[in-house]
Amino acid sequence: MFALQDFNYAVRLLLKRPGFTALTILVMAVGLGLSIYLFSFLNTMAYKPLPFKDGESLIVIDKSLNGLEYNGGNLEFYNYQVIREQLKGITEHSLYSDTSANVSGRDGARRYNATEADHNLFQMTRTKPILGRDFTVEDTKVGAEDVAVIGYDLWQNHFAGDPQVVNQTIRVDGKTTRVIGVMPEGYFFPRNAEIWLPMRISQEDMVQRNTGSGGGIVHLAPGTSLADINNQLTTIMKRLEQEYPKTNAGIGAHAASFPMSTMGGGSNIFLTSMYVVSVLLLLLASINVGNLLLSRAVERSKETAIRVALGAPRARLVGQMLWESTIICTVGGVVGLLVAAWALEVTESITATFTDDKPFFWWKFGIDSYTVSISLIFVISTILITGLLPAWKNSGADFNAVLRDGTRGALGKKAGRLNRVLVISEVFLSACVLIAACSMVVGTYIANKRDYGADIENVLTAKVRLIEANYNTREKRAQFAKRLHNELENNVGIGDVAIFSALPGEYTWSPTIAVEGTEYINENSYPRANYIVLTPGSLQKIGVQLRSGRYFDSSDDGLEKRTVIITDSFADKYFAGQDPVGKRIRVAEIDGDEPRWLTVVGVVEHTIQGQSFSPSSKTPSIFRSITQAPRFNMSIAMRMKADDAIVIRTLRKVLEQIDPDLPAHLIKTYEEKIARNTAGIGFASKVFLLFAIVALILASSGIYGVMTNTISQRTQEIGVKRALGAEDSHITREFIWAGVKQLLWGVIPGTLAGGSLGYALGLMMSTGTDVLGMVIVSVVTVIAIVVLTATFLPTKRVLMMEPSLALRYE
Amino acid sequence: MSEVLIELKGIKKVFFTEEVETHALSNISLTINQGEYVSISGPSGCGKSTLLSLIGLLDTSTDGNYRLGQHDVSDISKQERARIRNKEIGFIFQSFNLISDLDVEENVELPLTYRKDLTKEQRKNMVREALDKVDMAHRAKHFPSQLSGGQQQRVAVARAIAGNPSIILADEPTGNLDSKNADAVMELLDKLHAEGATICMVTHDPRSAERADRSIEVLDGQVIADQSKQSRTVAA
Ligand SMILES: Nc1ncnc2c1ncn2[C@@H]1O[C@H](COP(=O)(O)OP(=O)(O)OP(=O)(O)O)[C@@H](O)[C@H]1O
Ligand SMILES: [Mg+2]
Repeated sequence: MFALQDFNYAVRLLLKRPGFTALTILVMAVGLGLSIYLFSFLNTMAYKPLPFKDGESLIVIDKSLNGLEYNGGNLEFYNYQVIREQLKGITEHSLYSDTSANVSGRDGARRYNATEADHNLFQMTRTKPILGRDFTVEDTKVGAEDVAVIGYDLWQNHFAGDPQVVNQTIRVDGKTTRVIGVMPEGYFFPRNAEIWLPMRISQEDMVQRNTGSGGGIVHLAPGTSLADINNQLTTIMKRLEQEYPKTNAGIGAHAASFPMSTMGGGSNIFLTSMYVVSVLLLLLASINVGNLLLSRAVERSKETAIRVALGAPRARLVGQMLWESTIICTVGGVVGLLVAAWALEVTESITATFTDDKPFFWWKFGIDSYTVSISLIFVISTILITGLLPAWKNSGADFNAVLRDGTRGALGKKAGRLNRVLVISEVFLSACVLIAACSMVVGTYIANKRDYGADIENVLTAKVRLIEANYNTREKRAQFAKRLHNELENNVGIGDVAIFSALPGEYTWSPTIAVEGTEYINENSYPRANYIVLTPGSLQKIGVQLRSGRYFDSSDDGLEKRTVIITDSFADKYFAGQDPVGKRIRVAEIDGDEPRWLTVVGVVEHTIQGQSFSPSSKTPSIFRSITQAPRFNMSIAMRMKADDAIVIRTLRKVLEQIDPDLPAHLIKTYEEKIARNTAGIGFASKVFLLFAIVALILASSGIYGVMTNTISQRTQEIGVKRALGAEDSHITREFIWAGVKQLLWGVIPGTLAGGSLGYALGLMMSTGTDVLGMVIVSVVTVIAIVVLTATFLPTKRVLMMEPSLALRYE
Repeated sequence: MSEVLIELKGIKKVFFTEEVETHALSNISLTINQGEYVSISGPSGCGKSTLLSLIGLLDTSTDGNYRLGQHDVSDISKQERARIRNKEIGFIFQSFNLISDLDVEENVELPLTYRKDLTKEQRKNMVREALDKVDMAHRAKHFPSQLSGGQQQRVAVARAIAGNPSIILADEPTGNLDSKNADAVMELLDKLHAEGATICMVTHDPRSAERADRSIEVLDGQVIADQSKQSRTVAA
């Protein structure tokens, strides 16, 4: 079928029409480039095994609460202990917990991402330290010497790469700690650790039902699937829930690959949409190129017929056409791959803005073996699709009829059907891609427009984490917060200061809440609310509006006092139709048996805690004074009256004066912090937007091309009908109706398919069905305009001819 | 003397293509009466088809006047022209020009569907009548591709006469047929003429021209001879 001589012929044909060839290659390069890029990007983001030996069997087990999946090490040890004993199909297991460490040295304190690790954590990745040793079982015993394995960057920054670093000491969270090893450059396992500390749990801790938590790391045994593990976890956790209804209500566990575990809720919907959209786009590009090749084949059908008459075997003719597709798709694929490689390179700097902290270490984008193989698969598929169309046209075509200059009038039945199928496919594909993509784009737009409740302009934020050992009483912690607030405000470069356990826009703890006078059947039936503490004055200073009652003031100071401010969203939900001020609520999760009631003194506007598009953005919040309920973690917001460099220096100086072991970290403007909340989704929506634009261009030009072909091939038929007395309006109506029918055949299934994706994305982005409806109406309108214009213009052109000319039209 | 149906005065047709002017017709004046059977002949490219297109309102003349029936149709709207083609004129083409997506019955019905004054029932009757006349009623449900050339042309004749037009215009109706089929079509036209139809037919074939009772000869866009059968027989 593939003869060299035909290859030469195909090359000659392509070179003869450079414009046509360039256009088809461009369309293929765009389609292939976008799809290759997206597949490669998503693979690295979500599926690629970690770059370690046996990385493909490495998975992480963590907690889920009422279906919400956690990561970072939240599974209670006593639950993990049971899982470890009962889970089948794993070969090795380890335990970790992500935390942070304040490391102080000669030039002040700095905060690093830390991981508390079981002794065999490094062994799980088959990686050895480049200096010193890794943990032993001895290191993890309670009461053992404080030791740490440090990351390459910490070694370089803190020790200037000193080769004698092993056995030197550093202060970690105020404790003198001996460095025992240095991990290789680029090693941040499990996610973005810069320093590893031994995890110290006694056997008693493991079984007692009230101590710490962590995440499990396991290697799957050959033949065990992730789904197997998840099924087992569900069974195990169900049994535990029955056994301990009080502590285990709603608690589950889930297993995932490390990349997947960081993707967050709704990622499956999101990934599926991305994959579907990019495959559809590739299909759209292939159909366009296939149609261009088809119309060329039609132009050459006389020549082809002559070749058949001269005895050319059909396989040779199909082969020659396949050569054209092969050349176009291969060149397009190579160009696409190069563009994708460049785009992947650029992507790394974009993904660095997706997380509040350092990007994950496996976010290394570029051409890998997966990318190359997916490119090959794509190129071969597109060769088949683009080659198939002209081949279909020619298979079994009556060459004799072509030569004989067959019946005048309408298009051949088969060609007519093929053209209709083409238009319908283009309409279907573009409707599907556009609806899904626009749902995402509009959802992101809405998410970016949502009001977090805070006034974020010209504000600098930073985080401080108190060292537990040094701030072991509530008094000390409350004292620290008040002092920090006052001293910061006393500086000329700083205006208003607010200190929150979590600023609007930051995720926070949401424990169960009880409202006085309401009956709750079990642990599961309590509502949840974000529980935030703050220094008095913080709410008004950050711009959270008061709705009724009052803000906190000095009368709320005191560890024994119990006042609370709620958001209007909380009031609407639990005090509907009542005045909430004076009512009482309690934090059920930490209360235990003895209720401690909190009196509502004020109602403020809703604040979004976390990402503005996530379902948790609707969770109401309750606020308490930090002087009543102090915490270890604090976020500071400072209105800047001077350059941010000056404000940062002032902050560092003030902190150093209060406690030299306390670094400020994640220092950035409030605007940047908020921008990072939607950076990932914003990027995805830009990719979707690009897909939508390309899909619209491809579909419009494709539909216009097919329609123009169809109608010009029917010029004679139009002439005959006009000779028989059909008025122009009649002919126009006939074609428009045919166009409308094709539109409906494509747009109805397209809307159903695209609408389902859009609906799922809408759930993920918390946009309502009204938005989806609007998107669907707009997309359908645009496509309808495209189809009708593509029908009307060529029809009009034919009708401009005198009927006598149309009758002679060849 | 019977009534004048078509009256052309000083008709000119010039085609403009890429700086080339083709004078397809120059100064043609012609009258055709009701009930006449006219043949138009002449060498290839002399303008026969162009003339027929103008008569059939498929094209507009560059200059001159055209009266069809009682009306001047030189300067009427596109819609009006379509309406006249539909009601007053029946076309038969050399290449049949049946619509391949429609079956025989639907092809014949096609011009009738463009009228607003006919009920479905009336249309069905007219189609049946026309198909009976050309003896194709037994093939009503066939598609054009399932018919022989001669059969296709008979269907085309049925389509041309279904709406009882004032005049039938035929451009080389036998050009694509063998002599046997050609004779059958010619006989059909004779029969229609005998029943009172006005026919204007372009033909190469002298034997076909014979059958007409008036023969017009065109050369280089001009009428060079216009003889009736009587005068021809008299001359002979
Ligand atoms: N649309 C057009 N544009 C330009 N020239 C045209 C057009 N239609 C016809 N002509 C020219 O007008 C002249 C007359 O053409 P016409 O088709 O009437 O000839 P004909 O007598 O029917 O010839 P034949 O016997 O070969 O059918 C020819 O020279 C032709 O090339
Ligand atoms: Mg002609």
